[in-house]
Order: sequence, then structure tokens, then C-alpha cells
Amino acid sequence: MPNKLNGLRTLVGAATLGASVLAMTSALAGEVTVWCWDPNFNGATMLEAAARYAADHPDFTINVVDFAKADVEQKLQAQLASGTTDGLPDIVLIEDYRAQKYLQSFPGSFEPLGGAIDTSKFAPYKVELASLNGQSYSVPFDSGVTGFFYRTDYLADAGYSEADLQDITWDQLIEIGKAVEAKTGHKLLSVDINDSGIIRIMMQSAGTWYFTEDGQVNIEGNAAFKTALGAWQRVLQSDIYKPTSGWTDYTGAFASGEVAGTITGVWITATIKANPELAGKWGVAPIPKIDFEGATHASNLGGSSWYVLASAPQKAEAIDFLKEIWASDVDFYQKILIDQGAFGTLTEARNGPAFQASDAFFSGQPVWQNFTSWLAEIPGVNYGIFTEEADTAVAAQLPVLKDGGDLDEAIKQIDAQVKQQTM
Amino acid sequence: MKNPLYLLQRALTYLVLIVASLLSVFPFFWLLVGATNTSADIIKGKADIGGALIDNILTFFERVDVPLVFWNSIYIAVTATFLTLLVSSLAGYAFEIFRSQVRERIFGGMLLMLSIPFAALMIPLFTMMGRLGLINNHLAIILPGIASIFIIFYFRQATKAFPRELRDAARIDGLKEWQIFFYIYLPVMRSTYAAATIIVFMLNWNNYLWPLIVLQTNDKKTLTLVVSSLLSGYYPDFGVIMVATIFATLPILIIFFVLQRRFVEGMLGSIK
Repeated sequence: MPNKLNGLRTLVGAATLGASVLAMTSALAGEVTVWCWDPNFNGATMLEAAARYAADHPDFTINVVDFAKADVEQKLQAQLASGTTDGLPDIVLIEDYRAQKYLQSFPGSFEPLGGAIDTSKFAPYKVELASLNGQSYSVPFDSGVTGFFYRTDYLADAGYSEADLQDITWDQLIEIGKAVEAKTGHKLLSVDINDSGIIRIMMQSAGTWYFTEDGQVNIEGNAAFKTALGAWQRVLQSDIYKPTSGWTDYTGAFASGEVAGTITGVWITATIKANPELAGKWGVAPIPKIDFEGATHASNLGGSSWYVLASAPQKAEAIDFLKEIWASDVDFYQKILIDQGAFGTLTEARNGPAFQASDAFFSGQPVWQNFTSWLAEIPGVNYGIFTEEADTAVAAQLPVLKDGGDLDEAIKQIDAQVKQQTM
Repeated sequence: MKNPLYLLQRALTYLVLIVASLLSVFPFFWLLVGATNTSADIIKGKADIGGALIDNILTFFERVDVPLVFWNSIYIAVTATFLTLLVSSLAGYAFEIFRSQVRERIFGGMLLMLSIPFAALMIPLFTMMGRLGLINNHLAIILPGIASIFIIFYFRQATKAFPRELRDAARIDGLKEWQIFFYIYLPVMRSTYAAATIIVFMLNWNNYLWPLIVLQTNDKKTLTLVVSSLLSGYYPDFGVIMVATIFATLPILIIFFVLQRRFVEGMLGSIK
């Protein structure tokens, strides 16, 4: 019996010892730490940027930590709220829709970058969304400039060429969809019925948002919003799309060739190109325009930017790194466009060879030149801090609208829900 | 003798059971089949065995330092399970055996604390760990769970079935209190410990939110965090995710099957 007890004592002792050894390991000094969320995309571009910077700065080391996007947000939120800066990274990637939420909820936590970085080099809408009280806080990364991605072969069978898809309205799109299905048997669009992203696309294309510049709810009485929601209701009630649910279902519909296309951000390119057997059968057209004064064919969905934390241990080095590579290196943007399909927002980058080239996958269209032209036309809006809440309210009304619900009533409901949650 | 109505009833019962078991087995089937397919095929809904298994495994090992991550998860789960069972079973035992008015109040208060959601504790806990210098340290995950109210409660309930006569006999034989616990209580309650091990190990193995908040670097991450970060991004590789998920599920299955036998053994022992 005593032997047994000795065994137990040894075990407890060993466990305690193991734990204390572990407690002694600490972080490496002098390293720039970055939090982002996609090792194949933003993580890979960050490593490429670091390799370029290290060529001139041999002492520079970087530690790219990737978590899921929602995880980065949660970590950042919890840590900023706790007031403990210990363990925060130097640079963090934040999705554009959420930028204001962080900037306004945690004043002083992010470093203003306007002094160090020439923001006029970037697409204006990207700078605007990360500005607060006249200060800009981000180095813009990728854009979600939108396009109508379509199967050129299906549309050709239905009698539509590239030229027929320029400058169309959403109602014309419905007509095209009907013709495509009649002639080829394929639905025109893959639509995630629970996603309100398309409403955001329509709103921004007309330079409006759920909120006004000073953060007031701008839903009931917003004529552009009503026009957008009405246009989408007509699409939902037409039979031109395949209703899908969730990302896999949504992308599967066009990856398998079942559906002729989708309207979304430029970042979908990687997903589309993952099916090499469809090379040469895809094209990209501008998105349809809503019937509203001042509306454009250019909009944005998603996208993200880099932020430097005010508490960053390697702040000066991090800012210099962002400035030298992310805010000036045109070659770098060519490389990440080719390797990662990352569509940067540095305006000069469009003069580089990768942006100039036409893309064989997209039927030889000069898609990157087109996207850069649309990028420059995207109306700037202030996403405010409650975009997520407003999205949920819109998504809840979409099924009602699809079943023929009254547009004004739906807007009233959305407005009430957003006000109730945010006021 | 054979009543046709009875036969029909049986047939219907089995039909429902077969459908139900197919439904519950399908996700596992899909997981295994998915691991052998490329991401593009999975998205298209391909449901038969493909040839990409080796590629998926290689990509998984290439992208993630699998041995390190696996070790992190095992280290946390095993240490935490051992310490939790030790501390919480001692507490549960003591609350039941050495009763007093004050201890009942304390116990009641502890049970009330069960109703506080973790989200409300997270930020204060983070501040606390920051002050202790334990951010990005596995101890920050292990320590807060050791005195688990649920496991204390569980052991207290189980202790009610522990025969008082055994304690009395042990005392007459001259055993001290801690000896009674380790030599008499612990072996007799094997089945309870086995069940608690499964629960605590699973809780720690699957623990997600708190490790996510408190761990900051790639070399400290657990398997659950890695699976989650694989799923991120605009173009997730579902084949690799399936492989990672299988890796994350295996230890739980092994623990369960190993302890299930112990579980039965313990039951037989207590009947004797």
C-alpha cells in the first residue's frame, strides 16, 4: 500500500514540475506579430511582404498567427475590453464592415497612421471607412470590388455576349435569367437566401448605407434603400436563381456547373479558379445598376485592412514595414494578385504587368483592368458600428419579401428592429 | 401464435430505428469519405471514396505542426483531467462526508455559480491571467477548471452511495482520513472516476472559447483551434479539414472505448 501512495506522490510531483517548466517559456523579443485569418490568402500575402522587407532589413522577423476570422474578432474584442495589452499583436487584420466598431468602442487602442502613410495612394472608399475624427487608422488591404461572374458558354448559348451585359439594370438581369434558363436549362444565379450581402452591394453602389454619416439609422425613408430592396424582391420572386444555404452549397452551385453565375466580391476568383476544367468558360461583367439617381455599377462586398495597435511592442518597425511594402511596392501587388488572387487597393498597382494582363481563365477578358476601373468608382460610405445588427434585421425580412410581402411594411420592420437593438 | 399486428409493429419499430441510426451515422460516413476527396469534389457533393486521402494528410502535416499541436491538446487534456479529478473528487467527498451547516451554505453558493455563463467570466478571468503573467500559457487553461463545480457536485452525489460501514470499518482498522480516501474510496468508486474522466477529458479536449482567447501564438495552439483556423478563409480546403477533424475525434473515441470497459469492470466490482 505505501508503494502505491509513493507512486501517486511522484505523479503529482511530476505534473507540477512539468507545469512550471512550461510557465517559463516566454515570447521572442524584437519580432513583429500579425494576427490574420486565412493562411492561404492574407496570411500568405503578409509572409510575402515580410520576405521583401527583410531583403533590405536583415534583422526583421515576423510571426504570422492565423485564427478563424470570427476568432480574431473575438480575441481582439475580449482582450481590448479586458484592458490587458499583454500578448496583443503589433498588426491586426480587421474586416472593413467592423472597422468603426473597434475604432469607436476602443478609442486610443489603435495607432493613427495618417502621418506615416500617404493614404491618397489608396482607393478613397477604403480610407474613408477606416477614418475617425479626421484621422485614418488603416493600411488598406484587399478590396471586395464586385462583379457579375458568369459562364460565357451558357450566356452565349442564350444569345448574350459580353457587350450585352454592360450597363444593365436588375430588371434586365431578370430577363436575361429567364432567357438563359429557357435556352440552356441552367439558372442564372446562385443565391444564399439567408445572406443580405447583395443588399449591401446595392446600397453601396448608390452611395448609401443603413446609417447616416453621423451614425443615425437611415432605413425608413431612405429612398435608395427602398429601391434596392424592391429590386432584390423582384429577383427573389423571379425564377432565375437557385436558392442555396451556406457557403458550401452556394459555391457548389456554380463550381459544379449547375448555375451560370453569381454576383459578389472579387475574392470569389480563387474559388472559381479552383475548378481548372472550367478555364476559358468564365467572364466578369459589371454588376447591374439600381434604378436610382446617382447609382453606379461599382460596389464592394467585404474586404479588410491592416491596423497597428497603439500598444504594439514593435510599433515603429511595424509601421515602417507597412509603409515600405504595403503602401509603395507595386511589384509586391503584382505578385500577390497572381499567387493569392489578392486584389489590393494601392492605385498605382494597376499599372503593373499582372493588373494589365488579360486573364485566359476569364475568356481572355482584361478582368483586372476592369476591376481597377470599378474600384475607383465605388462610392465611399460610412459603415458605422452596427452593420452586423442591420444585416440580421434585413435577412429576417428577405423570406417575407420573397413570398410577396409588402415592401414598405418590411422596411418598417427592419427599421424598428435596428433601432430597438442599437438605440 | 404470431400476431400479424405484432409483426407489423416490430417491423415499423425496426424501420424507424434503422432510419435513425443511418441519420446519426451519416455525418461520420461523410467525414471519412470527405477525407479521401479533394475540396472541389466535396463542394460538388461527391459521396463516394476518392483518391485524395494521402494528399489531404500530407497537406495537413505540411500546413500544421501536427505533432506539436497534438501534444498541446493531449498535455492540456491529460493534466487538466488528472488535477480536476483529484481536487474535485476530494471536495465532493468532503462535502458529503463532513457535513455542517456552513458547508451546506458554501455548497449551495457554489451551485448558484454554475448558472453564471462563461461569457460573463471571460474578461475578468483574462485580466486575472494577465496579472499572473499566464497569457499564452497552457496553465491559464488548466488552472481555472481544476475546481469544477459540476464535478464536485457529481462526486458528492456519487458519494451518497458510498457505504458508511466501509468507512467505519476502515477507521476501526486505524486508517487516517486521507488513507480512507485513497485506499478505500478511490478503488470502490472506480466506475464514478471512469465516467468523470470521460466527461472532463472531453470538456478539455473540445474546449474552444477560452483557449482561443488566452493562447496567442501558433506554437501554443490546440487541435480544436487549428481545425477552426483551417475552416477560415475565402477558400477553405475541406479535404484537409475532414482529415483534421478525424484527428481531433480519434482520442475521444479511444478514451471512450478504453474507459467503457473499465466502466463495466467497476460496476461488476461494486456488485461483489
